[in-house]
Amino acid sequence: MKAKKGVSDPFEKKLKELDYAIESKISDKLDDNESVINQLFANCSDFVVRRLHIFGSIPSMVVYFDVLVDNQLWDIGFLEPLMLHESVSIDSPLQLYEQLKFKLASIVQPQIALNMNEIVQRIVKGEVVLFVESFTQAFSFRLKDKLYRQLEEPTSEAVIRGPQYGFIEKLDINLALIRHRIRTPLLKTEKLCVGGLSQTDVAIVYIEHIAQQSVVEEVKKRISSIDMDSILESGYIEELISDHPNSPFPVIQSTQRPDLVSGSLVEGKVVLLIDGSPMVLVLPISFWFGFQTAEDYYMNFIYATMLRWLRYLFAFFAIALPSLYIAVTTFHHEMIPTSLALSLAAAREVVPFPAIVEALIMETTFEALREAGVRLPRPVGQTISIVGALVIGQAAVQAGIISAPQIIIVSITGISSFLIPNPGMSQAISIMRFPLMLFAASFGLYGVVVSLIAVLIHLVNMNSFGVPYMTPIAPFSFSGLADALFRAPWRMLLRRHHHTKQRLE
Amino acid sequence: MTRALMACRCLIILVFLGLMTGCWDRKEMDDLALVMASGLDITDDGQLEITLQIALPTGIPSAVQAGGSGKKSVIVISAKGSNASEATGRLQQQLSRVIYFGHRGVIVIGEECARHGLNQVLDTYTRLPESRYNGYVVTAYGSTAKEILNEPYQLELIPGIGINKIQSSKVSFAVKMDEFLNALSSQGRSPVTAAIRIIHQGTDRETFSIDRAAVYQGNKLSGFLAPAELKLLRWWMGGTQQMRFTLQLEPEDEQYKGTIGVELMQSGKKIHTSVRNEIPEVWVNFHAAVRVIDNDTSLDFSRSNNMRLLETELSKQIQTEIQSMLAHVQKKLKSDIFGIGEEIHIEHPYVWKKIRNKWTDIYPVVPVTADVNIKIKRMGKTQAPAHLRKTD
Repeated sequence: MKAKKGVSDPFEKKLKELDYAIESKISDKLDDNESVINQLFANCSDFVVRRLHIFGSIPSMVVYFDVLVDNQLWDIGFLEPLMLHESVSIDSPLQLYEQLKFKLASIVQPQIALNMNEIVQRIVKGEVVLFVESFTQAFSFRLKDKLYRQLEEPTSEAVIRGPQYGFIEKLDINLALIRHRIRTPLLKTEKLCVGGLSQTDVAIVYIEHIAQQSVVEEVKKRISSIDMDSILESGYIEELISDHPNSPFPVIQSTQRPDLVSGSLVEGKVVLLIDGSPMVLVLPISFWFGFQTAEDYYMNFIYATMLRWLRYLFAFFAIALPSLYIAVTTFHHEMIPTSLALSLAAAREVVPFPAIVEALIMETTFEALREAGVRLPRPVGQTISIVGALVIGQAAVQAGIISAPQIIIVSITGISSFLIPNPGMSQAISIMRFPLMLFAASFGLYGVVVSLIAVLIHLVNMNSFGVPYMTPIAPFSFSGLADALFRAPWRMLLRRHHHTKQRLE
Repeated sequence: MTRALMACRCLIILVFLGLMTGCWDRKEMDDLALVMASGLDITDDGQLEITLQIALPTGIPSAVQAGGSGKKSVIVISAKGSNASEATGRLQQQLSRVIYFGHRGVIVIGEECARHGLNQVLDTYTRLPESRYNGYVVTAYGSTAKEILNEPYQLELIPGIGINKIQSSKVSFAVKMDEFLNALSSQGRSPVTAAIRIIHQGTDRETFSIDRAAVYQGNKLSGFLAPAELKLLRWWMGGTQQMRFTLQLEPEDEQYKGTIGVELMQSGKKIHTSVRNEIPEVWVNFHAAVRVIDNDTSLDFSRSNNMRLLETELSKQIQTEIQSMLAHVQKKLKSDIFGIGEEIHIEHPYVWKKIRNKWTDIYPVVPVTADVNIKIKRMGKTQAPAHLRKTD
């Protein structure tokens, strides 16, 4: 284990000591092994070292982390078969291995560990390790505690029609959820381990011959080159392997829905599952992917197409509506219909601030309320929403701080940003709003247009694992429009899938 | 230098470039004096008087300010000056807000001012980048523009918007600023505008009405068309929506008045020109399909001979009316508001080249023949008049 950046010196020294201890071989004396183990896991109150005789008379020692092991499995599945059996004579580790396999066949499979390094790895991952007197090999058993919550509806991506459960934190279960949907040996799941201290499992999932092999290789390369002490959530990976970590726009989709992930796999995408995170990463994606939901494919395609257009329209509102309002009311008064101009002027009469300040106050307040709504405990959240609604809706207008039209603009903008299904895309668009507003306040519509063009140039420049971000619009592909501008009926989409497959092969 | 640092520098330079220009034309809505209508008058000492009708946003009741209904919704101010820019400058001095012409829907030209000529006056308005060309030009009939703009109007909060809405309805005769300027600058056409006048409505309530047309010759007002003539002018210009004619078909009787009312449905006109010895000749063919909406005669129009009688009589009557209108405009006002010169320009370009400089002299003597062709398309719900049935 090599030293990491930002780690203090005593810590580094301790790591080196550990490295030294771990490199030692397994001794044939139980006492020697016990002292090494105790030294390694000193001050770990949840660590258990137990001496016992197995198969009647063989002295041995089991070590494990109490908290990581399933107690019931430990009692019934492990201790009972090993201790209550009549004595068997054992001469070699291989013989013992066979016996263990035989006795414990129903629940756990023993694995042979040859050195201390391996043993430590297994203990920290929650396995039980069995040392036997006079053998220089140890055996490990997976008696992992099934520490996971029930499958629940994903809160961030609820649908009306469609499967009502999402991924959870446990990687194995998440893999199972995908395997339940795609039943083919072509579905490959490769595991990597990242994070110096956290030792987080990352599974790369793809369908062979459909997913582009170069993308798979690239993902593997990027993940294995990650140099971090801890990877605690998929967000870490997303940022670390992203093509454009400095861009607000997401080039990797994160989702909680197994159906969406399975669909993406079939389309030839690569999926990353990170242990401990219910969010699964899908890549490569294009800009338009941020506006699609799993539900689009479950409902009538006409309605789904309408919904997509609605999302594009409101995404435009979310990014440009406040800036257009500012530009029009402070620079281009002639563009407003006369009667609207009069009522706007009337509403602005009492407001002391220029439109840009008004807009900044309200937009910032809105973002703050949104953040508060997420952070606050649920019972308090109610209060905040009522207070927020009052503050935004009534009081600010009556107090003459903000004009009523501005409230309308901010509310529409706020609602618009919630219409975008992908939270990453929604955030990106919310962020872009602010520079656009400043440009609108300085240069009017000219500023809005120039900054929109700048955003567009940025988007067109981006790519996600070799796929241009704006496909199928730029570069243009007619057949791709079926699933970007429209949600074409399935009979047409299937043909597209077929084409994708052929092209990638 | 790293890319990020470079980007930062560029951004800072951009921001300062934007700020250093110092020419921010940012104006908040509540810093503007929104001009709804403006008027041009000429005073006795030859000075120009400009009148502005400015909207007062607080006077407009809205959901937020429920108490605003008692206030006035416009103010009308005027100032004199030797030219328009000087007068506008004086007006600006009276106001706490910047005069903004972007929403002006109407320009009213006082009769005196119009008779005096108005080329140079309009220039000041048309040069302003914010001034709209889709505002309407109207001429005051028998009053000054200032008086017109001071008239109240009941239906709309702002009288200027009232005039604008009357003009933009298809029923009225309306000329927009760009059309007016086109005609003014064209050799083969003279400008014409709607004419607005003050009327007394009810007991002592005054308001305005647009029922005449002001005919210009060059940039000077030469006369007005009567309401009946305005109707025919509208037909010529291409709009006959809700246009009705009444015909005295039979002499008045005890039981009935003998009149027939018709409404135009589809209508149009065709112009033919020919040139003989550099004197053009013009034939105009008006045609329309009409619907009978009003029958106060003894005739039953389900009979075809009665229908034919009505058609010929109607055509004849309208033809005489058009001829008299043409004579009025051509001989008396000497103004080519119909664009006959343009028509000759299009059809006989070489002849036009020779005569265009003499056009104002030639035009009054150009023979213009009108031919009207009316067809009855619909009779309405009842065939014969109800009172005929009883007498039968």
